[in-house]
Amino acid sequence: MRSGDVAKVRLDEARPAAGVDGVTAGTAAHPSTPAKPAAAYPVKQPFTWWTRRRGYLLYMLREFTAVGIAAWMILFLVEIARARQGASGYQPLGGPLFIAVGVVCLALALWHSYTFLSLAGVIMRIPLGDRTVSPRLIVGVMYGGLVAVTAVIAGLLIWGGA
Amino acid sequence: MPETITLSVTRFDPDRDSAPHPQSYEVPYQEDWVVLDALNWVKAHVDGSVNYRWSCRMGICGSCGMNVNGRPKLGCSAFLRDYLPGPIVVEPMANFPVVRDLVVDISSFMDKLKWVKPWIIREETAVGPGEHRQTPAQIDQYRQFSMCINCMLCYSACPVIPIEPEFVGPAAIALARRYELDSRDRAGQERLRTLTGSDAIWDCSFVGECSAVCPKGVDPAKAIQQTKFESTLGMLLPWGGR
Repeated sequence: MRSGDVAKVRLDEARPAAGVDGVTAGTAAHPSTPAKPAAAYPVKQPFTWWTRRRGYLLYMLREFTAVGIAAWMILFLVEIARARQGASGYQPLGGPLFIAVGVVCLALALWHSYTFLSLAGVIMRIPLGDRTVSPRLIVGVMYGGLVAVTAVIAGLLIWGGA
Repeated sequence: MPETITLSVTRFDPDRDSAPHPQSYEVPYQEDWVVLDALNWVKAHVDGSVNYRWSCRMGICGSCGMNVNGRPKLGCSAFLRDYLPGPIVVEPMANFPVVRDLVVDISSFMDKLKWVKPWIIREETAVGPGEHRQTPAQIDQYRQFSMCINCMLCYSACPVIPIEPEFVGPAAIALARRYELDSRDRAGQERLRTLTGSDAIWDCSFVGECSAVCPKGVDPAKAIQQTKFESTLGMLLPWGGR
């Protein structure tokens, strides 16, 4: 083989399943790979792992915001179903409890949006010639879109029925 | 400034112990000492049976990964002065079986690393003898992901690994991404298919701690999420998101 030549290799090799303890996942061991020590102690992850570090806790909070958003969507669907009775028979939800639930769900939705949009610059890699679009620009466009869509919806709610 | 600091080191002798347990050592406090220096002092002056991996002492070899006060760190970059007044709890990296003391079994990681084929793949023979030139812009595409030293701290920080042991994991996917973005590599779509299969990118729930603990700023979470984004575009767009 000449200098710089690279052998033709493919990625279609199957990877065997993990062992019982999950530590032996991977391709068949190379002959030079030393055997797995028989007495290795398998340390388990405690149920409270997410309390151990701030990053884990913030992750769990981020994920749980989806529960509040889902709850609000279910409430919204129920309201649509109730509205089918017609304007005369429809009594919109109200009262302090409904307002409190709405405020909590709004806070969860805003936090979810903030975490999602802030990470957009990391997630999205948009090629532009031989470079990529700046993550800061991507995040800016995302937030701009959020403000624009919110303004349109607010406008429809405030003036759409007039 | 204290004269000594307490080091609580996890000990495990598979021939004698049923489970790992902590053992405390008083070590001299030095302003410029790191945890690895303290362990070396213990091994040289107090207890020669303490086992741990190390080599370069300068954050390059990636051998001395361990949990210091619960956080995955390189022993050679964890300064004692950052943990005053102590004690400093030194444990083996999480999410790996413990072989002895601070030494963990890394064979699962080595297998995962081989699986993503972290080398340049070309279907044809080389474009010619000699150099495969790249522009600075082409190098910038993958430079960050090429900084990985295989220290496995990201595996120790990842809470998905113990739940999904077959998950290929942060470093291996970052390396796959590094070659996928390399203009000399010709297996981009094939790598993408591999990474979008089982046990790969979709096992990641984007906790992000892999990137937080990376001593080289590789940002494996970014590599994984970018691959998710591109594979999704590949399904939606006729030109495959590229």
